Formats: sequence, C-alpha cells, structure tokens
Amino acid sequence: MTVDLAIRGRRQWPMPKQADPAAPLLRVEDLSVRFRMPNGSVKAVDGVSFGLDDGEALGIAGESGCGKTTTALSLVKLLPANGYIKGGRVELFGIDLVPKTELQIARYRWREISIVFQGAMNALNPVQRIGDQIAEPIEIRLGQPRESSRKRAGELLELVGIPRERVASYPHELSGGMRQRAMIAMALACDPAIVIGDEPTTALDVMVQAQILQLLERLRRDLGLSLILITHDLSVIAETCDRVMIMYAGRVAEEGQVRRVFSAPRHPYTQKLLSSFPNVRTDRRTLEVIPGMPPDLRNPPPGCRFAPRCPSAMPVCSEVVPPEVRFADGVRVACHLYPTSDVTSDPPGARPAAPTAAGEPAP
Amino acid sequence: MTVIAEPGIPEPGIPEPESPPVAPGRELLRLENLQVHFPIRGGVMDMITRHPRGYVRAVDGIDLTINQGEILGLVGESGSGKTTTGRVVVKLTRQTGGRVVFDGQDVSDLWGTGKLRAYRRRVQLIFQDPYETLNPKHTIAEFVREPLEVNGIGTSRQDREQRILAALETAGLRPAADFAARFPHELSGGQRQRVVIAGALVMDPDLVVADEPVSMLDVSIRTELLRLMLDLRRERGLTYLFITHDLSVAWVLADRIAVMYLGRIMEIGPAERVIRMPRNPYTQALVSVSPSPDPPEPGERAARTILVGETPDAAHVPPGCRFHPRCPLVFDRCRVDEPPLFDVGGGQQAACWLAEDGPGAQLGNARRFDAPEG
Repeated sequence: MTVDLAIRGRRQWPMPKQADPAAPLLRVEDLSVRFRMPNGSVKAVDGVSFGLDDGEALGIAGESGCGKTTTALSLVKLLPANGYIKGGRVELFGIDLVPKTELQIARYRWREISIVFQGAMNALNPVQRIGDQIAEPIEIRLGQPRESSRKRAGELLELVGIPRERVASYPHELSGGMRQRAMIAMALACDPAIVIGDEPTTALDVMVQAQILQLLERLRRDLGLSLILITHDLSVIAETCDRVMIMYAGRVAEEGQVRRVFSAPRHPYTQKLLSSFPNVRTDRRTLEVIPGMPPDLRNPPPGCRFAPRCPSAMPVCSEVVPPEVRFADGVRVACHLYPTSDVTSDPPGARPAAPTAAGEPAP
Repeated sequence: MTVIAEPGIPEPGIPEPESPPVAPGRELLRLENLQVHFPIRGGVMDMITRHPRGYVRAVDGIDLTINQGEILGLVGESGSGKTTTGRVVVKLTRQTGGRVVFDGQDVSDLWGTGKLRAYRRRVQLIFQDPYETLNPKHTIAEFVREPLEVNGIGTSRQDREQRILAALETAGLRPAADFAARFPHELSGGQRQRVVIAGALVMDPDLVVADEPVSMLDVSIRTELLRLMLDLRRERGLTYLFITHDLSVAWVLADRIAVMYLGRIMEIGPAERVIRMPRNPYTQALVSVSPSPDPPEPGERAARTILVGETPDAAHVPPGCRFHPRCPLVFDRCRVDEPPLFDVGGGQQAACWLAEDGPGAQLGNARRFDAPEG
C-alpha cells in the first residue's frame, strides 16, 4: 500500500483531525447494508471489501440491484431512510465513518467525498442559477464568503470546459452534456479527496459521453483526483479506471486491474457480462445471454449467489459461499472454480501477452 | 433507391449459427425525400400573423427503403431526427414534405380516412421506456387487450383472450396465463419490455418501429430482448426499423445501418461496410468513440476522433454540409454545397464530398477506423 503524499500535499484544506497521514485513502472492510422492507430485510450489500489509493480510479460494475450504488452511498451514509449499515468498516484516512452521527458525517460530505449523481437534469435545482448551486457547498461546507465562493464557481466551470459567464445560466439553458459538466464542477467545489460518479455518462449521447470521459481523464491527471465510478457500462470503466470491481447480488465477484480482468475474466459472471456486451471492435459474434434473473435478496440462495445461473456450477456452489481467492497478479475472485490451493495457476484463456507478466507480487 | 444485398455480408451476430438467412424480400417501406419542419411560434404577434419565426428542420429530406424481413438500424445522436422519422412512419407526426410508401401504396396522407386504422394495424411502435408505457393500474392482459378492442379485432371475448395469451407467449412471458393477471410493478424491467413487445405483436404487424427499445435495460436483459426480436423476425418474417443512439447495438442486430445527423442521412449501407469502412467523417468519428469493454491500447486514445461541441439546433442548420462546422476534414466546398448521398459500392452510400469519386476513391487523409484482427 503506497500513500501518495504528493497528492495529499495538494489539498487546499487541512486533513480531518483524527486522520492518520500514513493510512490509505479509503479502506472498506466487510461492509454489509440492509434495507428494511415490509416483508423482510433485503441484504443489498453483503461483506464487501475494497480499497482506493490516492490518485486511483476504481470502477464498480454490475447489473441493476447488485448493490453498486448502495455501496457507494453508504460510504457517506446517504442511504434511504429504510437502509442501514449492518456491519463493517469504512475507513477514510484511517477514520472509521460507520459510527459517525449524521451531524459528524455531514462534515465529510462534499469536503472529503462528493458524489456526481445520475441524471444531471434531475439532480440540479431548476430554479437556481448554476453558479449559485456550485457556490453553495463552498459557502456552507467551507464557510467561505459569498463573493469568493461565486468566483470559485466561475473557475470550476472553466475547469470543466464551460465558459465562465454561464454561472448566471439556469439548468434548462444548458445542454445535457453541459449539465453533466456542471455536476462535475459541483462535485469538485470543495476539493474533495474522493469523487464518486454514479452513472455519470448514462443517458448521454456517445459523442458527449466521450467528451465527459475525456474530461474525467484530464481532471484525474491535472488534479490527482481519486475516483470511484459506478456504472453498468463496462466500456466506461475500460476507458477511465485503473481497477474494476464486479459485483453480483450484493457481493464482490471479481476485482483487479481493469486490463487483467477484462482481457482474461476468471469469474463466470464476469465472463458472461463481458461477452454480452455489444462491441463494434469485434466480429458480429453471438452475444451471450445470462439465463434467469438475479436472486431475491430478501432470501438469497445459500452458497454462491450466482450458482443458479452459472454454466459452470458444481454441487459445492449451492452449499458453500466461495471464499475470495487472490491470484498472483492481484486479481481476487470469489468462485469455487479456483480452489485456494492453486491460486498461482493461470486462468483459462489468460493472454500470455498481457502488458506485464502475471507474477508481480500482490499489493 | 434500391439496395442490393451483397453476398458475403454475414448475418447479425445474435441468432444461433444454424438460423437460416432471411431471404431478401420485396420492398416494404419507402421514404421519399421525407421532410418534417416544425414551425417556431413565439408570441401573440406570431399567432395573429400566422407567420412562424422559422422552422425546426427535424427531418430534412431523407430517402430510405426497408425490405420485407429486414432490420434497418437508424442511428443518430439526440436531435438527429431519428425519432421523428419513426413517428412519421407510425403516423404520430405528419410530414411536411415527401412521401411514405408502404407495401406499394402511398400512405403519406391517411389522416381522417378509414385506411389509417388499417395501416396502424400493420405498423406497430415499441417505445423506449417500459416504465412509462405501461399503465400501473392495468393488468398485463388489459394492456395487451386494448389495441384489440380499439381496432375491433377478434370475434369473441374468448378469441381475444386466446390472442392475448399467444402474444405473451411469443414475447417470452411464460406461462402466459400467469403473467396476464399481473400488474406492471410485479415485473422486472426486461419483463415489462416484453409486455410492450407483446402489445405490438398482438396486432400481428408487418413492420415494427422500435425506438430505443433496449437502452434502459441492463446488458444481459438487453441481449435477451435483441435475441427475441431476431427470433420473431425468423419465425414471423417481421421487419424492423430499429432506432438507436448506440452504434454497437445496431452493429449486432441490423442488416443495414443508416446514420442520421441533423435531419439528414449521412451514410447508409450494409452494417459490415458502415462499421468497418465508414466513408463519412461523422460515421468515422462515431465508430471511433463507440463504447467497448476492451481497455484502450497505447495510442488508441490518440487515434480517436472526439468531436467538439454538440449537434447544433435544428432551427439553425449550418449552410453547405450540415456537419461541416464539426468536421475534422472540412474543406472549402463543404461550407457552400450540401453533398448528396454518393454511391461508394456494395450498397453503401455516403453524403460527403470526399466520397464523391465513388468506390475507387481513397479516403485521402480521412482517419479511418481499423478493426483489430479476430
């Protein structure tokens, strides 16, 4: 675990008091989230662990209902009223955020972790000028005077490629792509340590999506941004992220470097997901269909949750929860196909010509 | 305009390999110089004088044919006029110019005639959003029954119920009787979209206009529905006008692809040719930024053409080639003259002065997307 102090040194605001300067940026351990429902408790997130280093971009992917958004929202405890964190730790600079009260966690929102929400049209206030909306978190969270907050709002708009004069525009006067840029500017307002993008490019045209991804890439490079990107669109992750975490039914199926996971997926779910993705760069091949539906999380199947839909399911899969196995190249997989004893063996279909040979020590 | 299916163009990727190729059918739908111009009316004065301030040229002269059993992918970004084109075909929007010919008959002006109802029976629309299309207070059976009642199809109540169950079954909702009594909130997104498809199928249409039918859905469900649509074509000889913003969905599904920009067709041809050998710089740019789960190779990012800005407003269509203000290969002529669709061989046509010399011409300095082998 390396801590990029250069990036932390760029912070404009002091670190939280209890922060451990040597601790990793974000460490989530065994996070479990439940939703209370009239007819039972939904195990939306069940024992999810991951980390994020300074300047790194992590993509969380999966289908609707896999718990990817819930995982992200629980980092800053923005869960709906019927949701609660059942267990686990969310450590930011070594500070556990889970036991924080609503008043305490509010200090971390925007300043330390900000979220670019899905659907910019609905997330922006239609009757407030763009500049005022961006200035608001600066005024409230950082206690800056109104004038300098407004000035910073203009700078932020310029940073995301919108002319400064647009501070006076209302959301309806901006195009879809510009609204999404404004949302990103707002997320950057308080110079947060982590920006979470929840489907930041869904519902945008391909060309506008390419522009937004280009912007995120530039911001990462220039600001040393640490990014968590939540999307069902694997292409967005391939384009912008260093690491990817594939979730299924509230659990991690596979996690590792994007290049390794996407070029040689090990978990059957990842394999299916990748081969059901239409892609103009490949032949017009048979697209895979994943039979069946994700399980009802009020009453998930015992063992591996993907087992009922898995083409490689074995008897053990429907009985025992597969442990996470970490391969030599740092990819971890929760699947019984990979017994803990032979983790060093290459996965089926692994490309020998991967950029760096599998064999470097796990981080 | 006739398009000859070129031998050697593979079938779309989704059906099982053993699926028989669809026989090239006769022409089912033809759009001739179709135009939809919406008047812009501002204040009271405009209402009095009845002179609009201008026109939004949503569809600005397109020619298109779809043959029986064919899937035509109509691809474009927001504001390209693709949805308006679909709405004209299903007669929800009236064209302001040009002709619509369906099955050999001019159906441009059916309004107020009994023929409109007959036409709408044969041409069905599937909307984008299965959450908004279905009435939450109606059961699935009621949703599928409505078009039958409106059109007076079915001899008896029993006959209608039979048709409803058959349509649900065909759309993959099995057991149909079980689904018929349910409400939309009891179904998943994929199942809802199947209900919408069943609502179209119950009319036993010849042509289905599908407007972004899968863009709201998860990848695995999306594939299931695309496969269902291909199965329906194989089993019932259905013809599709498939409208999408996603070139890669058109790539796996469509026989031919038409790319629209600001009310015009920029390029049209067999899917293989349009994706692998795009001749219009706009298509080239679209293909180069098309989403792919393969992490970019070194240098691939630089080879991409990310256009600056967004599609202009259709009320202010640029002179000359309407794409010229954003075109990376623009030259003098583009600013003055609008290029027609030039034949570039193999049934492919491109509206670009660089394609003027036809099939033999090189792309010049045009940046071309090269597909990786395999």
